[in-house]
Amino acid sequence: MTLRKTILVSAAIALSAAIPAFAQDAASFPTKAMTYIIPFDAGGESDISARFQQAEWNEHTGQDVIIQYQPGAGGAQAWSQLNDIAGDGYTIMGINLPHTILQPLEGDAGYKTEDLTPVHYFHYTPNAIFVTADSEFETLQQLIDYAKANPGMVTFAGSGSKSANNLGQLEFDSAAGVTTTYVPFSGTGPSVTAVLGKQTTAGFNYATSAMAQGDALRMLAVASDERMPAFPDVPTFKELGFDIVGGAYRGVAVPASTPEDLRQRISDIVAEINADPDFVKKMEDGGFVLTDITYDKMPDFVAQMTAEYSEGAKALGIGQ
Amino acid sequence: MELLSYFLHALTPMNLLLALVGVVLGTVIGALPGLSATMAVAVLVPFTFAMEPASGLIALGAIYTGAIYGGAFAAILVNTPGTPSSIATTFDGYPMARRGDGGLAVTLATFASVSGGIVGALALLFLAPPLAKVALAFGPPEYFWLAIFGLTLIAALSVGNTLKGLIGACIGLLLSMVGVAVVGGDVRLTGGLPSFLGGIDVVSALIGLYCIPVILDLVATKAAHLKVEADDKGYRLAEAAAIAWKSKFNVVRSSVIGTVVGILPGAGGSIAGLVSYTEARRASPRSANFGKGEPDGVIATEAANNATVGGGFIPTLVLGIPGTPPDAIILGALLVQGIKIGPQLFNAEADTVYTFIYGLLIATVLMLPAGLLIGRYAYRSIISFPKSLLVPTIAFLTVVGSFAIHSNVHDVQVMFVLGVIGWILNRYGFQPSPIVLGLVLGQIAEQGFVQSWLIGSSTGNLAGMYFGRPISIAIIAAAALTLCYPFYAEWRARRRNSEPLTEIATEAEAHPTAPAATGAPQASTRDTGAMICAAIFVVIGAIALMDTADMSAMGAVFPRAISILLIGFSLVMIGLALTGRGVRAPAPEPAEASRKRIALGVAFAAWVFAIPVLGFGASSLIAFLVIMFIAEHEPQPNAVWLRRIVIAIAIVALFWLLMAKGLLLRMPDGLLF
Repeated sequence: MTLRKTILVSAAIALSAAIPAFAQDAASFPTKAMTYIIPFDAGGESDISARFQQAEWNEHTGQDVIIQYQPGAGGAQAWSQLNDIAGDGYTIMGINLPHTILQPLEGDAGYKTEDLTPVHYFHYTPNAIFVTADSEFETLQQLIDYAKANPGMVTFAGSGSKSANNLGQLEFDSAAGVTTTYVPFSGTGPSVTAVLGKQTTAGFNYATSAMAQGDALRMLAVASDERMPAFPDVPTFKELGFDIVGGAYRGVAVPASTPEDLRQRISDIVAEINADPDFVKKMEDGGFVLTDITYDKMPDFVAQMTAEYSEGAKALGIGQ
Repeated sequence: MELLSYFLHALTPMNLLLALVGVVLGTVIGALPGLSATMAVAVLVPFTFAMEPASGLIALGAIYTGAIYGGAFAAILVNTPGTPSSIATTFDGYPMARRGDGGLAVTLATFASVSGGIVGALALLFLAPPLAKVALAFGPPEYFWLAIFGLTLIAALSVGNTLKGLIGACIGLLLSMVGVAVVGGDVRLTGGLPSFLGGIDVVSALIGLYCIPVILDLVATKAAHLKVEADDKGYRLAEAAAIAWKSKFNVVRSSVIGTVVGILPGAGGSIAGLVSYTEARRASPRSANFGKGEPDGVIATEAANNATVGGGFIPTLVLGIPGTPPDAIILGALLVQGIKIGPQLFNAEADTVYTFIYGLLIATVLMLPAGLLIGRYAYRSIISFPKSLLVPTIAFLTVVGSFAIHSNVHDVQVMFVLGVIGWILNRYGFQPSPIVLGLVLGQIAEQGFVQSWLIGSSTGNLAGMYFGRPISIAIIAAAALTLCYPFYAEWRARRRNSEPLTEIATEAEAHPTAPAATGAPQASTRDTGAMICAAIFVVIGAIALMDTADMSAMGAVFPRAISILLIGFSLVMIGLALTGRGVRAPAPEPAEASRKRIALGVAFAAWVFAIPVLGFGASSLIAFLVIMFIAEHEPQPNAVWLRRIVIAIAIVALFWLLMAKGLLLRMPDGLLF
């Protein structure tokens, strides 16, 4: 190859490389490492599930993803800044329900539910009632009987006030006709510690806690639609006659300025990882329930959830 | 023996290299206030996916333990804890450095950190499953009393002027409540500003309250930052070894405290350091020297905070409950590797777990040579840098650190404003440490209190909940002992007709800005400045009290109690001052020193508010150069200035690259760059 030819070829390559930098081609996205902001501290369900995605990210996109933590105000601090981030697709953020519906209802959270742009909700963790393995309560009915005989005496440890756990406990109280006391802790970790240490009677936590704790905890009922594959012996609330289905959904959001084709592309990446057998195994072993709410299904899903949770919020005395 | 074979696994050249690189990297990150182990570990996790599980864990663990240790450097050399774990290191480390013992303090901190780290790792190795039960035995009341025990240190820190210490603590406690409450979910004390919803970040407050006063005072005088002996004795290894050996009981006690506190999820290194500092002070025959450069204070804190590393891994590995954010990230890395956490881990994955623990031990031992070398280099740079480079560099580091926490300029502004307020308050005798203690311990105290209240009242046993549990009773007894011991010691000293302790300790009052003694307080003059401060505090308390009106009962109880206390203490102080019985702070210095100080303050303020407008790099470079000129007291030839400008550009560029490319933070662009 002559020198002239080399220069020509290089120039052509440089040009072709330069053009997509201006008009980002969604098909070739991403061409460099991405940043994935988790609006919570490390170690929670949001972090663990993102770490599972991270392990598969490169295989599906050819690029790495870097996880960063921006905790504060139960996630509100990060979500209120999401739209200030450049919408080039390279920065994405974890997003949670019911948090992003309840927080704006409650007052000025610095953002509104409709300001956020979720592109994929990839899993959910149902609420569940836990006791320690050596607890006197073997079934949910025993716990309810005890709560009826001793109003207010049953204490539930859960993560945060006005949270999915708190909402679940209130639903349980009204469905079972009992009065229990909810004790908020600063996260799943501390609240499960309180249950394990028998500081409270029981815990209103996510089903994922059962996996981490193995035999030390007994799950009395789970708030999923059907029995979970990981826990075939644990009854759902529905089976036991209580219409309680709930928990927390987690997904991926992008800044509002992100173009449509990139939103779709990121939704596709998350969906692709959601179908990866390795990922599915890790998630299911961890007690997560995979969902596939892609970008096109998002408007309906968010509208339906907003309606459901707004009703629940009334029980918490929010948004009145 | 099986354990021995795991030890050999850990000894592969690759693992040794990872441990060494991890410790060095961690120490450097930890020494820079605001840059944390959490950040470094979070960025590096993906690299460990390709490694063997144990090797990846060793690298992450080494960074973590190195960072906790590295925090001591900034604490000793510039009075700013590099991580919240070394808050108590500033109390004695900085006064030691000021009087020319900086090298000795760094060496002592290294010895203590290595010893503490080894004790914590050994506990993890041999006692993990039984010790994990400690985490479960600690319920809400125990956390509450532990936080109260930490707060008793205020009495010790402000001997001679307890009232100002208590007022400072109330201010700190109120600051800790800003934002969305964990219990109750109320939005509190934000003044309606959404940017305060996340609360006041402890690290940015630490940087502001401790470091801004140092910068302001540095620029005011011509005197060198740290005193240097003409015959600088280097590491002073033998001397440090002798001191550490004499304090062996302190080392062991502090390491054990650190291990146990480390086991408690959510407590962490800052509380471990404060608790063991309090214990060391109480047990020491030289307790009046604490806060004035007592080596035992540095030893206690540093032994304890490195012991929390091993301790923190105990609940992480045994219960799957991470004690600290770095633990949580390492837990996530384990889960991704497909390793199941839980009590069965030590059998099912014995190879990985024991190799990791030995790796952590090896990394801790490597900290000794690595730390001494880095410490020596840091000390040398600090004492050899001319002031006109040192001041802007430290100022730049405060901006870098407070920005890095959340990639958010808001934290930088909070840091600066708190720093200026802290400096002013310190002028009138309100020291920063009680405020910091209140801020660090406030959340733990409040959550423990309200959770205990909920559980106690639902079971109809409120008194038993707070006062009837064995561990609680032990902590209450220790707190009472700490509070009362100084009075007993003073009474005994008076009986022996020697100088009362209070008199000696008031000399430490002016720490951290002026360790030189200012003489006995003049009781006859009125403490007008403090009186004005107290009047402002009454107003702040009243505003906070009004703010609690529409909160839920759960969210209101603590801020209400604290604001009433604040108003009460402030009124008492006004009363004392009016009757001429207040303790007056030393008089401010002459006006010419304050000119440079005001210039620096203005330049700094312009800087932190220009970042979002001009961009991080541009505003920092301009501010660096301006502060460089402000900080110079003598005319210098152009060649010197040229050299300094080149160094300035290099420093700003280096940190910009570290943040943008190394830690992958999102940098604000603004108009320029």
